[in-house]
Amino acid sequence: MKIVIAGAGEVGRHLAKMLSKENQDITLLDRDQKRLDVIDSNYNLMTWNGSSYSFQSLKDVAISDADLFIAVTPYETDNILSCSIAKKLGAAKTVARIDNSEFIIQKNSRILKELGVDFMIYPENLAANEIAKCLSHNWARYWGELHDGNLLLIGVKVYGNSLLLNTKIKDLPVTTHDFHIAAIKRHNETIIPNGNDEILSDDIVYFITTPPYIEKVRELCAKTRRLIHDVIILGGSRIARRFARLYHDKFHIKILDNDMEKCEKMATELPPDCEIVYGDGRDIEVLRENSIYRYDAFMALTGSSETNILACMTAKEFGVPKTVADVENLQFMDLAENMNIGTTINKKLLASSHIYKILIDSDQSNSRFLTLADADVAEILVQEGAKITKKPVSQLKLPFGMTLAALIRNDNVSLISGDTRINPGDYVVVFSLQGTLEKIEKWFN
Amino acid sequence: MRPLRIKLPRLAHKKFINLLMLARVEGWLLMIESLFMLIPCIIALVYEPESSIPFFIVAGITGGIGALMTMIRPKSKEMGRREAILLTGLTWVVLSLFGMLPFIVYGTHLSVTDAFFETMSGFTTTGATVLYSFADVPKSILLWRCLIQWFGGLGILLFTLAVVPMLNSSGGLLLFNAEVTGITHDKLRPRVSATAKGLWLVYIVLTVILVVLLSFSDMDFFNALCYGMSTMSTGGFSTSEAGISQYNTIYVKSVMVVFMFLGGVNLSLIYNAISGKVMNIFRNTVFKAYVGFVVIGYLLITADVIIEGLNETIEDVTISPLFQTVSMLSSTGISAPGFKSWGPLSLVVILTLMFVGACAGSTSGGAKIDRFIVLFKFIKNEFYKIMHPSAVTTVILNGRGTNPAVIRKTLAFLFLYILVIIIGGTVISLFGIPLGDSLFCSLQAVSNMGMATDTTGINGDYSLMPTFVKWLLSFLMLVGRLEIFTVILVFTPGFWRH
Repeated sequence: MKIVIAGAGEVGRHLAKMLSKENQDITLLDRDQKRLDVIDSNYNLMTWNGSSYSFQSLKDVAISDADLFIAVTPYETDNILSCSIAKKLGAAKTVARIDNSEFIIQKNSRILKELGVDFMIYPENLAANEIAKCLSHNWARYWGELHDGNLLLIGVKVYGNSLLLNTKIKDLPVTTHDFHIAAIKRHNETIIPNGNDEILSDDIVYFITTPPYIEKVRELCAKTRRLIHDVIILGGSRIARRFARLYHDKFHIKILDNDMEKCEKMATELPPDCEIVYGDGRDIEVLRENSIYRYDAFMALTGSSETNILACMTAKEFGVPKTVADVENLQFMDLAENMNIGTTINKKLLASSHIYKILIDSDQSNSRFLTLADADVAEILVQEGAKITKKPVSQLKLPFGMTLAALIRNDNVSLISGDTRINPGDYVVVFSLQGTLEKIEKWFN
Repeated sequence: MRPLRIKLPRLAHKKFINLLMLARVEGWLLMIESLFMLIPCIIALVYEPESSIPFFIVAGITGGIGALMTMIRPKSKEMGRREAILLTGLTWVVLSLFGMLPFIVYGTHLSVTDAFFETMSGFTTTGATVLYSFADVPKSILLWRCLIQWFGGLGILLFTLAVVPMLNSSGGLLLFNAEVTGITHDKLRPRVSATAKGLWLVYIVLTVILVVLLSFSDMDFFNALCYGMSTMSTGGFSTSEAGISQYNTIYVKSVMVVFMFLGGVNLSLIYNAISGKVMNIFRNTVFKAYVGFVVIGYLLITADVIIEGLNETIEDVTISPLFQTVSMLSSTGISAPGFKSWGPLSLVVILTLMFVGACAGSTSGGAKIDRFIVLFKFIKNEFYKIMHPSAVTTVILNGRGTNPAVIRKTLAFLFLYILVIIIGGTVISLFGIPLGDSLFCSLQAVSNMGMATDTTGINGDYSLMPTFVKWLLSFLMLVGRLEIFTVILVFTPGFWRH
């Protein structure tokens, strides 16, 4: 696919790198040559120095052949204008990054669509929704929904008195096939397990399951469900404000910020049931004054990843059960996860995976892949006469490092067990280590 | 959905150099080389069937070793900057080592040194030769010489990038940057393999046109093919002692002038022109300067011919000086007959032209016009700044401002370029070759020219050079072809340190 990305900011660069690795034709457009230089000499893509809403620049990057135009410059008006021009010049699909909730209201988005903006991404909104989801499923480390929530990928850190520990997977005290253990993350290693692997304490186990069995998975992991109501937020950032607007009736929200002007602005603009407090949240005295130990969740959403990570660790010391940190430096993410900060949020990753989804949906090819760091989740269409259709799953000699997770037949999602027989025309969700997909694809063609 | 991050500790386990991956890519390259070897095999079957068997054996050995090496399954397919630089230099050496086998198995009078020199000279499109007699050289070998020039002309790795999908990645891009000449590297298309395919397509089309045009003259098809590849790659190997002078018609010379000229133009510019952006050519500063150099060189040499009173025919003031100018500037090194009798002015002009070279991104050698434009504009700015200390100036190339880092790199390059030529020449002179000739040889090798003097060989060749000098010259050719940094960097201690 030919993709033109306008704006070599953090989201733009991340997308460009990621999509270039996925063998797409990427052209990155920016007005600042300096931002392009490094990426141009290191990545397999083309860069072009020019404005995203200049007719000449758009023609220079051959916009008329582009399958997708993504405008992710810092200014939403620029993005909308560029998308509009790009669409008129022949781009098949356009995506604009916005930071105004008005635009995503159904009837307004129709007007924007007429202007030529097909999709919009609103990273702060994505982040706010993501945080809310984490808070409601707070026993899980990772919560992913595929197929409109009909298929779930749940990551849980297991320890304590979980029934799963120290037994081989084939000997687990379960009789039904309500879930699959798709992957295990142990220290820094990812394992795609087979029946003989064991689950140890402090592993993060990734389950694939369907909604009716969520509770069963939770019980197996010996996790208790905690209802989160009181939430304290450090930093009145855009994510924090968006979260407060969206969820003020679901949670009791207190926002701490050390900028008086910002506090006053928030106090006027945000719904009145949100508490705004002026004070430096890095100061333990301030936290104590606000009786932090009483809160169910602590979220550090300032612009500084370092502050957020450290603040969350402080909150853990105070005994806050759930912490969320906004970590914008990708390098810090693993570090933060290893330090037991419950959930890390990254706007860049959220925005790029959202765009990736748009891309997958508009791609007409048979296999749809969702590459997620080192593990791949692929949804593969089974071809007529494929090897995998010959026998029931348990009799196939499938390669190591993969799990056949679920089957989508006529839009019905079901899990795959040993005696499932796969038919041509089904979609199969496969979980595998990165780099083994080519091998796996052979089974489906 | 939030992206799932299950991260393998990639950085911690990364090997210092991913040698297995390098070996695997080398395997691919050897297989490609063995395919190229099959072309002279076929020619041999047609012209001299009895000599084709050893050639097939060599091709088989090369392909077999290559195939074995591609069996290697490296743990990680990643290639970083260090691997890319090492691979680029290594490839040219390894392919030359295998490429010299045909010269050795044929029982020509070539030693290993001579065969390696000849091959490296071919791949780097230098065109310096150690063959002083062509009488007993089979046609397949003559074709092989021209073929390796043609292969090396645009770039061995560039060809690989076009055909091996595995390299269509960031690692491949680093290879592209390390091999393609010039200060900055134009990409035609977003994917590096598409860029490589585009460039090779232009190159192949131009070569085919040239071969067809040449075969309309009194050349037979075999010679047209050889000269076609040799001219297009601006290499300069010929198929006989007499060289081009036996086809001394205005038609042949004119065709060759045009294609040598095109060989010196940035290929991506030609690609753009073909795909409809013709005006780009006339807006291109470098192209304009290239034309300027040709015109001035031609006028000066013609003036010298007239001063010396050598203008006997109309050809002596028209096509011959033009042929000579373009041949020198594009680093082809095929010389117009009788140029040796021209005066000292011509010699100075010729030396200048071969030092400057043609446009970056072309198949030619030399320091490249782009860099001299940057240098002169920069110097002009510096003079201006002495009078107007607070003036802000930039160097504008092709309508775009040049980054100060690019200017620094250009200055460092030109300094290093001159240094390499001088050091090379000085070392050669230690072997009893007159200093003037030594420096000339060194300049020839670094700028991939391949003309010789009387002290170096019998018949415009390098056969009389001492063994060590031949190896040194081979090295200098590689240094010149890969534009200094890529090769020299491997010999710096910093490259091998963590």
